Amino acid sequence: MLKQYPTLRYILHRGGWYFLTFLVAVTINFFLPRLGTSNPVDIIMGKAGSGLDTEAAREKEESYLKEFGLVQVDATGTILRGADGKPLKSSNVSQFFNYVKMCFQGDFGTSFQKYPKKVTTIIAEAVPWTLALQLPTILFGWLVGNILGALAAYRRGVFDRVFFPLALLLSAVPFFAFGMLLVYVCAIRNGWLPAMGGYAGDMVPGFNLDFIKSAGSHYILPFFSIFLILAGGQAIGMRSMGIYELGTDYIKYAKWLGIKENKILLYLFRNAMLPQLTGLALSLGGMIGGALITEMIFSYPGLGMAILSAIQGQDYPMIQGCTLLVTISVLIANFTVDILIGFLDPRVKAGQMGGN
Amino acid sequence: MKRLGIPLAIVGLLLIAGCNKESKPAGQEETKAGGFPRSKTLYMGGSQWGDPNSFNPLTDWPAWPVNDKFNIMFETLLAYNTLSGKFEPLLGTLESQSADSVVVTLNPAAKWSDGQPVTSADVKFVYELGKRYKGAATAYAIDFVSDIKVSANPDKSERLTFMVNKKGRNNPLVVLDFLQAIRILPAHVFEPKLAQLKDLAEVQKLKCDSNPVVSGPYNLEAYSNEKIILKRREDYWGNAALHGGKAPAPQFIIHPIYKSNDAFAIALAQNELDATQTYIPRIWMKKNAGVLTWYDKEPYFVPGAIPTLLINSTRYPLSDKAFRRAMAFAIDYKSIKDLAVSGYSPNLKPGAIMPFGIEGGYYNDEDAQKYGAAFNAETAKKILAEAGYKSVFKPDGSLDKMLDAKGKQVPTLFVKSPAGWSDWEAIVTLAVKGMRAAGIDVREGFVDAGLYWQSQPVGDFDLEMIKPAASVTPSQPWSRLAALMSSRTWAPPGEKMNENQGRFNNPKGKGYIKAVDSLLSVIPTLTDKAALTQAYRNLNVIFMQEQPALPLCYLPEQFYQVNNKTWTNWATDANPYAPPNLPWAGAATKMLWELKPAK
Repeated sequence: MLKQYPTLRYILHRGGWYFLTFLVAVTINFFLPRLGTSNPVDIIMGKAGSGLDTEAAREKEESYLKEFGLVQVDATGTILRGADGKPLKSSNVSQFFNYVKMCFQGDFGTSFQKYPKKVTTIIAEAVPWTLALQLPTILFGWLVGNILGALAAYRRGVFDRVFFPLALLLSAVPFFAFGMLLVYVCAIRNGWLPAMGGYAGDMVPGFNLDFIKSAGSHYILPFFSIFLILAGGQAIGMRSMGIYELGTDYIKYAKWLGIKENKILLYLFRNAMLPQLTGLALSLGGMIGGALITEMIFSYPGLGMAILSAIQGQDYPMIQGCTLLVTISVLIANFTVDILIGFLDPRVKAGQMGGN
Repeated sequence: MKRLGIPLAIVGLLLIAGCNKESKPAGQEETKAGGFPRSKTLYMGGSQWGDPNSFNPLTDWPAWPVNDKFNIMFETLLAYNTLSGKFEPLLGTLESQSADSVVVTLNPAAKWSDGQPVTSADVKFVYELGKRYKGAATAYAIDFVSDIKVSANPDKSERLTFMVNKKGRNNPLVVLDFLQAIRILPAHVFEPKLAQLKDLAEVQKLKCDSNPVVSGPYNLEAYSNEKIILKRREDYWGNAALHGGKAPAPQFIIHPIYKSNDAFAIALAQNELDATQTYIPRIWMKKNAGVLTWYDKEPYFVPGAIPTLLINSTRYPLSDKAFRRAMAFAIDYKSIKDLAVSGYSPNLKPGAIMPFGIEGGYYNDEDAQKYGAAFNAETAKKILAEAGYKSVFKPDGSLDKMLDAKGKQVPTLFVKSPAGWSDWEAIVTLAVKGMRAAGIDVREGFVDAGLYWQSQPVGDFDLEMIKPAASVTPSQPWSRLAALMSSRTWAPPGEKMNENQGRFNNPKGKGYIKAVDSLLSVIPTLTDKAALTQAYRNLNVIFMQEQPALPLCYLPEQFYQVNNKTWTNWATDANPYAPPNLPWAGAATKMLWELKPAK
């Protein structure tokens, strides 16, 4: 039916697969945290139950089980009990359908650990920070790294001899070590920039110049801690791809034809970029959860810590909410790059559509 | 090379764009910025680690300062001085205590922030909530307080008599604990909410974060996921009634929420934080930055809790008393003190009672010499050999396996402790090292915190790191001994126990020591000092003989690290006008009135 619109057909075809992947991922997101042997209410009781009598602790525990929908209740809200007097656990399947129903209503449930905070509230508070730090860092790290890598491949000479070892060093340094070094040199030792936080300690977030200035100065170190390392890694990859492309016939031919250097560089960039794009998709997809270490080093607001503490605390609704977000972002990033590659390289599109 | 300029310019532009994007995070309506002058603001941290969830005092774990013993928003009846062991007046004054009742007079000047007086109705509301709702955070109080009788003093102030629940736990000590821990709430605010929502669980879901009615010297000003800000109440009743008309020095208190201990250490050294209760190793290195602790030399802090290895005495060979005692002799406590906890502990003495401070009076050195186990690897080996155990070492000197009297291999024992709790990891590693050297087949078993919490009440462990009854309260050291030895709710492994999870002293088992439980139930009711001391001595002797757990070192109840660059006159060992807690708990709160801005 869509034969005459190959591009649209390609997009729909890819989209269909992504939707299927999404459904599978949502199911896994639900069951994965429940595979673990630890029980969220036990963890909560470790906090809430200290100092309580055994009997009082049991009552408290049952009220939590009920509150979080982990036990079966009758119409009046009374916990149903088995022959041994213990509450009957509600089955994973019934919890799953409840979860799917709630998801469609835009409700990810109440966090166990941060009770009575809603998961959606926690995510909505943290995501802007994560995006503001990660999105520009990744995009620009990628862009700058690739441009420099292509330049290094093409120019060689002194530029490459200085640049390449530097990029190699940057790409090899672990995130956290580099971040800590930045904190030590730029904040603790010399006091050029604030050591941590998303904004100054004496401020409350708001839309005003003071706050923006403060947030800006607190942004610089975390930004560079990711940006430089990412750019270094991208540059190395791009440089190797570039060197490979330089040896190919089309570049030799273009040179022989006397085409302008800038134009040749553009050809080279476009061709060498394809595998790099896949890398970009991966980084963008992992963005939501990938900020953990940066957030810890700089005590930067964001979702990374929320995810970590949710996992440690077996906070099912929170884990589900976050993994759903990660799933969606990975899928969207991959889908976008898929489509982009389809446009940039018609061979891919043709190949995917059955070679006709 | 010229081209480099362009990407750099883009990065610069992006930085600005990125910053703009950040200006609307975290659900915060407040738009005040920079309104907290450094010289009028006290920065304290370490009590709130995640996003503030709720400021509702009726929920189980609201955010700081509505949780724990913090009394700067909602106050307790009495403030406990952990240094002197005495009660200081707050909403009430302690009149008398006996085995049957505790009498407190309500301070007639005490007022809520909406102008209403604090009355016996408010006290009864909190204490009797458990009669109405099983899920109330204070529901357990009715097991200890059977009734609160109200009468009038000659000066018409209200006198409250807390009747010890003789038919319940019959424990006046815990009643004293309550008086300094349970915060009094405004009944006139919460009763209508209960009536309207008809259910405690629904009321517990309220966040109570806008202009709460409090009795304390500060109230919630603003909060975000990065900090909680309190503002001084100029009309606080206690300024006149308790502090001679003076107001607290800081106008604002800000609790920043950082994400790691390191962040607190950096902020403290950089003067962005005035006080913190987080663990900072080698604190003496921060002296130049103006950082003080209680003592200016080892152990730097006042001991308040005993990290302990709990022993599961239902498991073989831990059920063998000789085996447990051999373990106690095998651990090098001095190395734990020096290496694992930066020297923040006095040298450990045998037993489960602290040999100094308020508890020191119940400690007996002769008993310790006679019955206690101190580090001595040779004695450990001797005890093991006498009990028939044989340790087989490899040629390189490391332990291979252990055989019991029947020649059967003893299973390797594991120490369960949460992964990532770095000070505990170091303590466990050193304890294991000592025991292995003495020929005891023990290994570290660091587990996910979730598994750790889960294993504790059901007794699913060989040995487990715990901090029994870690708060310094009026009921110490009774509460620690009960947490380690009480069989009152003994249940077989698999079922839950909220105390003595090592399941020592099974009342239905062979060799049940009846004296343990009878001493534990009689101690709270003893008022005669000599009888009390004797009872504690007896209990500690049984502890040393039976070794149901392995105390490893002493650590402070809370770390107390302050910086005197912005605020001075902190209480320290040289100037001990308040106990060694940050000025938001118990009697330490009075530091707020004594702090002075640095010149």
